[in-house]
Amino acid sequence: MSIRTEKLTHIYMPGTPFAAKALHDVTFELQKGQVALLIGPSGSGKSTLIQHLNGLLKPTSGQVYFDDQSIEGSKDRLLKLRRKIGLVFQLPEEQFFSETVYDEVAFAPRNLGLAEEKIRDSVYDALNLVGLVAEEIKDRHPFNLSSGQKRLVAIAAVLSLKPEVLILDEPTAGLDPAGRRNLFNLLAGFNQKEGMTIIIATHHFDEAVALANHVLVLKQGKLLLNGSRDEVFARREDLEKLGLALPSVTELMQDLAAEGLPVRTDLYTIKEAREEINKMKEKQQ
Amino acid sequence: MDKFIEVINLTYSYRPGNGNEVKALNGINMKVFKGEFLAVTGQNGSGKSTLARHFNGLLKPRSGNVLVGGFSILDKNRLAEIRKMIGMVFQNPDNQLVSSIVEEDVAFGPENLGLPPETIRSRVGWALETLNIENLRRESPNNLSEGQKQLVAIAGVLAMKPECIVLDEPTTHLDPRSRRELLEIIIRLNREEGITIILLTHFMKEVVFCDRMIVMDLGEIKISGTPHEVFEKTTEIVRLGLDFPVATQLAAGLRGKGLKLPGNIITTEELIAQLCLLK
Repeated sequence: MSIRTEKLTHIYMPGTPFAAKALHDVTFELQKGQVALLIGPSGSGKSTLIQHLNGLLKPTSGQVYFDDQSIEGSKDRLLKLRRKIGLVFQLPEEQFFSETVYDEVAFAPRNLGLAEEKIRDSVYDALNLVGLVAEEIKDRHPFNLSSGQKRLVAIAAVLSLKPEVLILDEPTAGLDPAGRRNLFNLLAGFNQKEGMTIIIATHHFDEAVALANHVLVLKQGKLLLNGSRDEVFARREDLEKLGLALPSVTELMQDLAAEGLPVRTDLYTIKEAREEINKMKEKQQ
Repeated sequence: MDKFIEVINLTYSYRPGNGNEVKALNGINMKVFKGEFLAVTGQNGSGKSTLARHFNGLLKPRSGNVLVGGFSILDKNRLAEIRKMIGMVFQNPDNQLVSSIVEEDVAFGPENLGLPPETIRSRVGWALETLNIENLRRESPNNLSEGQKQLVAIAGVLAMKPECIVLDEPTTHLDPRSRRELLEIIIRLNREEGITIILLTHFMKEVVFCDRMIVMDLGEIKISGTPHEVFEKTTEIVRLGLDFPVATQLAAGLRGKGLKLPGNIITTEELIAQLCLLK
C-alpha cells in the first residue's frame, strides 16, 4: 500500500499570460506507515502538491497513484479515495461553519449518508482520538474553544472518515509550545498504533522531525531532495542554499562536530543529543 | 532608561456583560523602555495580542490606562500622535498590504500622515533600503513570497518613522531563511536605528535575542527579566506550558548526568563554547 506520484506537473492558469508552473515532474513514493516531512521555501509548491494527493487539484500532466490505482477516473472512485486520504488545511479552524463541535465533526460522515448512530460513533471516536472528551465538548460552539482545541476539532473532523493517510499543511501554525507538543504526540500515536501514513508540510520542523523517517524537499515546483531523514539532513549546504535550515538539534550536533568534538550528527531530539554527548564525555574520561 | 510605554492596572474583557464575558487582561502593570527589545511570550489565549493592541489604542481598556510617550490612549486628540509613534506588524502580511505596487504600499502610511511628496519619496526609499528590498519597489505584492510580503509590511510601518514597532508573531508563516532574515532585521532596527521593539512570539529561538522578556498567563504577567534570568525559572516555565531554547534543554539534561555546565545557557553558541571548554 503506497502513495505515489509520477512526473506530476501542475500549471496554474495554463494558456494565459499568467501561466505559472507550480509543480514540475514530481516523482516520489511513500509506503504505508511512513511519516514524511514536506519542506521547501514559501512558494515552492508544497500546498499545490498536497492538494493533488487527494484529488482536489488535477495534474496538468503526470499521475498520482494510491495503492497502484490512478486517482483519476470515475467520480465514485475519487470520493472513495478522499475518504482514505485525509487533508488538514492550514489554519483549518478558519473554515468552521457549524454551531456545535458535534456538527462540525459530523459533517463528513453525514455527507456519506451514514445512519445517525454510525455518525455518532464516528464523531465520538474522532474526538477521543485527538484527546478531547466527546461528552464535554460536543455541544460547545467551535468558536468558543481555545486555539489548541479548535485545531484538534478540525483534525477530528478529518479523522471522522478514518483515513489511512493523513496530510497536514503547517499543522502547528499559531500554536503555543504545549499545543505543538500535544499535536505531535497525537500524530506519533496515529502512526505507531494505527499504522497511519502521515505527510506534514511545514516550515517549523524542529518538532516534526522526531516523527519523520522520510523528507521531501521542494523548490520552485521541483523535487530537489527525496530521501531518508538522515540522507537529506546530512546535506546542510544544499539545504542552506535552498533557503532551508537544519533541525535545531541536528545543527547543534554538526556545529559541535565542526569544533572537533567526536559526536554523531544524525540526531534529531534533545534526548538523542544528550545521550551522544554523554557517551563522548565518558569515552574521554 | 526612559520609560516609553507605561501600562497601569490595565484590565480588558471580551464580550462584557452578557454572561459570556472572557477576562483577557487582569490588572497589568508594566513599562516598556525607550530603545529596548522586549519579547512577550505565553500560551495561546494568555493575553499577549490583547495587551499589544492597547499599545496603539486599537483596543480601549475596561479599566486602567496606557500611556505612550506620556499621552493617554484614552485621549482621542492624541491617538493620531500615538499611532505615529507605534507601528504594528501582524502575523499574516496579506491582511495589511493595501496597494498593488510595493512602493505605493510603503507610501500609504506616510501619505496618511499628510507629509509633503518629497518627504514621502525619501522615506519610502529609506525604508526599502534599510530592509534591503529596493529591488522589489515596482513589484506587485501578490507576486512576492510570504517572507518578502512581511518585509514590505514592515517597510510600510518603518516609513512612518515610528519610535516603536510591535510585531505580533511575525514569523508564523515564514520559511526558515526568511525567519532568520526577519529576526536579523529586527535586531538591526533596534540596535542601529534605536527603534524600540516589542516582539510577540511562541518561538524561544527568537526570544533569546531580546534584552528583556515577559511571560504572560491568564491575562497576567507571571515572569519578567532577561532571557538568562527567565529561563533559569525552570519549574515556572514548565507550569506555564512554555518551552526552553534547545541549548537550555540540552544543557539541563547534561547537567543531570553530572556534566559541569553553568545554569544560564540559552544559545547554541554558549553551549558549544562551554562543551569545548570541557574538552
